[in-house]
Amino acid sequence: MEASLPELARLSSGVPGLDLVLGGGFIEGASYIIQGRPGAGKTILSNQVAFFQAASGRRILYVTLLAETHDQLFQALSNMSFFDRAILGDVIRYVSVFPSLRDEGLGAVVNLIREETKRQGATLLVFDGLLNARDRAETALDVKTFVAEIQSQAAFVGCTVLFLTSTREDDSCPEHTMVDGVLDLSDNIANVRAYRHLQVRKSRGSAALGGLHLFEIGDAGIVIFPRLEAYLGRPTIEDEVDPSHAPTGIQGLDAIIGGGLPAGSVTLLAGHPGSGKTSCGLAFLHHTPADLHALHFGFYETHARLLAKSKALGMDISAQVPDQIDIIWNPLTENLLDKLAYQLLENIRRRKVKRLFIDGIGGFERASISPGRIVEFFAALTNELRSLGVTTLMTWELRELSGGNAASPLPEISAMLDNLIEFQNLRSNQKLQRSVSLLKFRDIPYVDRKFELLFRPGGIAIAELGDTAESRADDEKG
Amino acid sequence: MALILVADDEVLLSDILAVMLMDDGHEVMTAPHGRAALQMIRERKPALVITDFMMPLMTGLELAQALKADAELADLPVILLTGAQGDIARRHHELFRAVIDKPYKPGELLAFVKTITNG
Repeated sequence: MEASLPELARLSSGVPGLDLVLGGGFIEGASYIIQGRPGAGKTILSNQVAFFQAASGRRILYVTLLAETHDQLFQALSNMSFFDRAILGDVIRYVSVFPSLRDEGLGAVVNLIREETKRQGATLLVFDGLLNARDRAETALDVKTFVAEIQSQAAFVGCTVLFLTSTREDDSCPEHTMVDGVLDLSDNIANVRAYRHLQVRKSRGSAALGGLHLFEIGDAGIVIFPRLEAYLGRPTIEDEVDPSHAPTGIQGLDAIIGGGLPAGSVTLLAGHPGSGKTSCGLAFLHHTPADLHALHFGFYETHARLLAKSKALGMDISAQVPDQIDIIWNPLTENLLDKLAYQLLENIRRRKVKRLFIDGIGGFERASISPGRIVEFFAALTNELRSLGVTTLMTWELRELSGGNAASPLPEISAMLDNLIEFQNLRSNQKLQRSVSLLKFRDIPYVDRKFELLFRPGGIAIAELGDTAESRADDEKG
Repeated sequence: MALILVADDEVLLSDILAVMLMDDGHEVMTAPHGRAALQMIRERKPALVITDFMMPLMTGLELAQALKADAELADLPVILLTGAQGDIARRHHELFRAVIDKPYKPGELLAFVKTITNG
């Protein structure tokens, strides 16, 4: 019989993504160090937690040891949507204990905080300025004793403690051994772009998601995007193979592949620019059955250009947008890889999307600050899409404009796809021909079958190469 | 010139205010929280108290209530300087001679102090 761990009472952070990273939130009555360089987001994070808890009816004590005045702090927070000036001084109280530290030392600060925590009836204590307390300590033991006393007296009354501190280059951090958790916030530069990471360096009694997690700071405060492959190491739902097929909307193709794409499969359309990949994706969306929802998740065409293109191709989706087909466009500027994934999955779960067209996966690759994780990322994403029963088409653009020797773009990613279709622009006798090769299909051997892609009024079609009315007419002309 | 007590846990602010008042000819003592302020008031009997709202151990509101409850100190004028709790303080207008929202103009505060201390 398997023994189960006792369920620990949790304090929700109110910071999107953080509870997931922490394995369910902060542990009530536990103590945490939140560290990072100035500007890393420690103060915003802790205030976001404090105001979320205050809105839940808890009482908060926010103790500072800083040169920055509380009014400067409030001014900086006033642009954040979580900040509520009306509860200052009552539900949430900010006090400075700097005079006690300066005049009487760490022991006096401990006593003052104990009394003030009790007076406030606080269930969350934020202590901003641990570095200043360290500067006042004579030995490492003094710091450990200070932290131990603060957290033990807080734990005695069920109060959770967040110690905020700036990191230093020579950081040996003796107090890390005393607390239950250590969260590290960092802001970094990759080439010329800035990005932020959160890492749980220590998590006593709770299984946190390891590694670096991207986050951003906006008007609503901090939003954390747990690393997808860490969060979705396994899909959230057991994968059940659906034996049905999803018609592609490409005339002639479904008859060859057994009625359409296997439901819940992932298909890569890889090929040259202008070879018909996006058109096939639009055909797929256009032919979404009336009782299903679809999503176009793109990086290239805007909403308006996409509608115009579908109309020009004779597959007008404008009547299906937005009720049946939603369009999400993220320009190829500064995207965050995991944010894209959560945006995609949120739309799929909320709208119960069953058909997805991603145009294209190069947008995810460009957003990746750590290219080494792209395979694991796509493994997690495609596994989750399958488990959600989403039939997915994704494009991958090859660099060459035309030619017959198109290599697989990312061999490791290709291996985790169910189906792979290659699109090529071939030049023959001054004539451009678009070819489609079914390189790989789940459970069906279609290796090296090549077709011609044809644009016709009312949609697109495939036919055997050189065996179409259009080809014969061209040959006769030639 | 008068003896003025400034109560504020944020020493940066209390030090600046103390210097400003001393430059204007007043004698100033400072306290880091309401409890210390109350003790100093009982010992030194200042002519005016200028206090912050949020402080450890005893808030500015609690300090004013304690003064009002003490027959010897009930008439001691109190000015509250507040960043965010002006509305709470104004609901207790009987406790404060003035409630001044931060940020304030030093000249206005000094003029107000002059009016009170000249009595």
